[in-house]
Amino acid sequence: MIRFCRYWRFILIAVFSLTDIGHSQTTFVARKDRLLAVVSQEPHKDFFIITAKLGSGVDVPQALSMLDSLTRDESIGGMFYAYGLIGAYLYNRHLLPDSLHRKIRRAYRERKMVRGDTENHWVMYYTGLYLAAQTWPNEDGTQWFNGKSSAENFKEAEAWLNFWIKLTATKGQGEFDSPTYFITFVTPILILHDFAQDPVMKKKAQMMLDYLFADFAAEHLRGNYGGGHSRDYPQDIIYPLGALSTKWAWLYFGEPDFEPWSEARGQSRHRSWETVFGAVSSYRLPEIIRQIATDRSAPYVHTETKRVRNVIRFGEQKNPPVYKYTYMTSDYVLGSLHGGILQPIQQHTWDVTFVSDKPNNTLFTLHPFYSGKELAMFFPEEQKVVSDEVNRFHLVYTDPNKWNSSSPYEQTFQHKNALIVLYNIDQNAKHSHLDGFFPKTLDERVEDASGWIFCKAGKTYIAFFPLKKYEWIEEAINWRWRSHELINGVIVEIGAEADYGAFAEFKKRFQQVKVENQNFDTNLTVKYTTQDGAVIQFTYGGQRLLNGKPVDFASYKAFNGPFLQSETGSGVLKMTYKNHTRILDFNKIAIEEKTN
Amino acid sequence: MRIKPCDKIRPLKKNSHRNRNFFYSLQWDFKFCGQKKVVVIFLLLFFVMSNEVTFAQQETIYMSVRSTRQTRLHASDNPLIGLFLSRDAGKTWEHKGWRDQIKVFYSEAGADGTIWSACGNGVLRSIDGGATWKITTGWEVTETLKVKVDPSNSEVIYAATAYGIFKSSDHGETWREKNRGLVNTFTADIVVDRRNSARLFAATEGGIYASAHRGERWALAGLKGKGIRTIVQDPKDAKIFWAGTEDDGVFRSDDRGKAWQSFNHGAPLITVYAIAVDPKNSDTIYLGTHEAGVYRSDDGGKSWQQKIAGMKNLVVHALAILPSNPKIVFAGTINGGLYRSADGGETWEFNSQEDGQVWGLSIK
Repeated sequence: MIRFCRYWRFILIAVFSLTDIGHSQTTFVARKDRLLAVVSQEPHKDFFIITAKLGSGVDVPQALSMLDSLTRDESIGGMFYAYGLIGAYLYNRHLLPDSLHRKIRRAYRERKMVRGDTENHWVMYYTGLYLAAQTWPNEDGTQWFNGKSSAENFKEAEAWLNFWIKLTATKGQGEFDSPTYFITFVTPILILHDFAQDPVMKKKAQMMLDYLFADFAAEHLRGNYGGGHSRDYPQDIIYPLGALSTKWAWLYFGEPDFEPWSEARGQSRHRSWETVFGAVSSYRLPEIIRQIATDRSAPYVHTETKRVRNVIRFGEQKNPPVYKYTYMTSDYVLGSLHGGILQPIQQHTWDVTFVSDKPNNTLFTLHPFYSGKELAMFFPEEQKVVSDEVNRFHLVYTDPNKWNSSSPYEQTFQHKNALIVLYNIDQNAKHSHLDGFFPKTLDERVEDASGWIFCKAGKTYIAFFPLKKYEWIEEAINWRWRSHELINGVIVEIGAEADYGAFAEFKKRFQQVKVENQNFDTNLTVKYTTQDGAVIQFTYGGQRLLNGKPVDFASYKAFNGPFLQSETGSGVLKMTYKNHTRILDFNKIAIEEKTN
Repeated sequence: MRIKPCDKIRPLKKNSHRNRNFFYSLQWDFKFCGQKKVVVIFLLLFFVMSNEVTFAQQETIYMSVRSTRQTRLHASDNPLIGLFLSRDAGKTWEHKGWRDQIKVFYSEAGADGTIWSACGNGVLRSIDGGATWKITTGWEVTETLKVKVDPSNSEVIYAATAYGIFKSSDHGETWREKNRGLVNTFTADIVVDRRNSARLFAATEGGIYASAHRGERWALAGLKGKGIRTIVQDPKDAKIFWAGTEDDGVFRSDDRGKAWQSFNHGAPLITVYAIAVDPKNSDTIYLGTHEAGVYRSDDGGKSWQQKIAGMKNLVVHALAILPSNPKIVFAGTINGGLYRSADGGETWEFNSQEDGQVWGLSIK
């Protein structure tokens, strides 16, 4: 009794923690079961639907027939096939007839599976190859599509996976924070986690899953993947909850609060079901990551250092750093990349994404840029033809109205909820205008005599100050803000009802604000004092000053915020939530978890 | 003299799959003295000469189609892309190898008959005429733009890639990076000097680099800062080299690559993707250009004439001249397929690969 009294506090904490964890796991189980129940009813043929059907015991003969058909279907191939097939096989092999075992084995002999040319392609390809070679060991090159033996394939796949894991843990991803391509990293690593026989590789896979989800969690807001992105499709940029990452947020974080495949709320661009592998996987998201993803009780600053995808020419460094700044609150997330060409084709440099039950819950600007030389930095094809080539697949690359783009003429400087974006567009650029996305679902959009444009979206207030003249173009779901001045910029500051009260009060506070941009056309410098008194001064191509002191990007860590900490190059990621910590040490391949 | 024919026709030792030169000897048991060897030698000579003619007629054209507008992305059935072979001067083509999007940039055959393909996914090798393939490189080698076989040693292969030069000394079994001295590692082409295989030239994004040590070290040889798209050695005069550039047209060296001169007389300073020299007349040179089609010089590069009659696509990325009949010239275009001329470029006729990207051509 005396011992109980002495330790009662710890017992209570443990009970509540376990209850919380228990509740969280129970709801995860409920969601994954719900997902499997929904997907098992899908009529289409893919590895994930097949896995849901077989795992649920629904339409088993049909699922087996679908899988049989996929072993012969030549309309799909490559790296998606390489990992998808082995994943479906390994999850369901106890249910398959001998003939299907043989057909699947034959597929890895006869189907030419290409490796691809991006980071996510290689993760899919080498995960698939690793597990296939592990599954069918001791076979010579005549039994494999690439002419290499099982041993050669396994060794090569293992070597690259180890290389990528180490590179990511020390320098970050090149295809970082992509609401679309998140799935092409997580899904193959899930099957690597579940089926790798080497305990070290299995552990690494578990740690990579923790890493990827933690990276998402720190920039997650009610299902939205906030902040700047390396790669984002236009339709997902303007409808953040339609991105593929939303399904994963729903499954693992429990947000958004609606099923993301429902047509009424979400406009799922794909009905793709990679999350099924999450539902059937033995991997369980550590509770600390879910808490990081969902606790928005206090605003915070979170910064990251990522890397640019391999620059093969026209660059000084192979993988220059990317500096990310994100300010998170319970109502909105404002995030930015520091600017320039950090990723070809699909870069999304900055936006404010706000909590809303209406679609198109975001606002941003960009310079729609394209050039053969930009692409030639990353692709080996001839620079004078590669733009057309990219346009064939991405459809909008050369489009002056596109909603995704990197630009060498765009730079940003963010401090908490305030952001300055400056542009100095070369007169020979193919497109010389700026665009801004203002959704029609905004509650209000007001052009004020002070020069500010004020927007209200639920409890989020946006103050937008264009430095140059502009026009509005009305489109189906949005107002397109467009400015044709080559030397240009915008200042954005975000607020919330909780901070200002009524929208009218918010507007009044900004109407008094003076933006110092005299001689902007010659000195390319803007000075702005935020509502909380911070003075931010930004010169395009020059210094970023915060309260008179230079901001040094070199001091950025791999992760730096209240939830995630990692020194660049260390290979160690520390997660903290209240008195809990979880440390991923990729040097020791160890996970340490403790409660203080 | 009695001549008693022997009915034995025995092949000599049949060489390995690496050597396709099969030699047979007829042994006749002639019952006369001293003439046996003469007859054997005569018959051998006769056979070899007739086979030389046969070999010439069996020139094989290797066409690498990187892509086509009809490609299905991420499908494993794309019969219109990959490597195509023709053994009848382009009349018919046979598809060999991968049909998935492996991005075949260039293919050639070594003297031993092995076919090598430079692909986005690395270096592919076939030792059975294209029936089966092995990706010889691992994850360290990717975006391979050219592959060249050492003409003096079929075991030695060089790959020019977006990440520099890689070399294999064991027929592709292992590969090593050879970038020491290269400032810009993006390499679009590599040439092995056929007179001295220790000497190589690399076409980089920052000029022409040369190695005198089989790739162990590189040094700038010329055209510093220029994007080099291709380098070609004159097939008759080994001292002469030609280089095509991204923005500055064509250059020539007459001293084995030590000094380079602009040779754009009469031709605009355009992108030159491909160069082909008539194997029987070094004064006849063809250029494949970006959006200007084919240029031909008949005076060793002193003047150039545009030769595009019949061409509907003027982005010419590959050129090849049939050695046995140099009037037959092939031009591979980007998104316009393959063109063939039977009159030395005076007129062109569409040959095959509608909408295709014919990235590379070679003839062996």
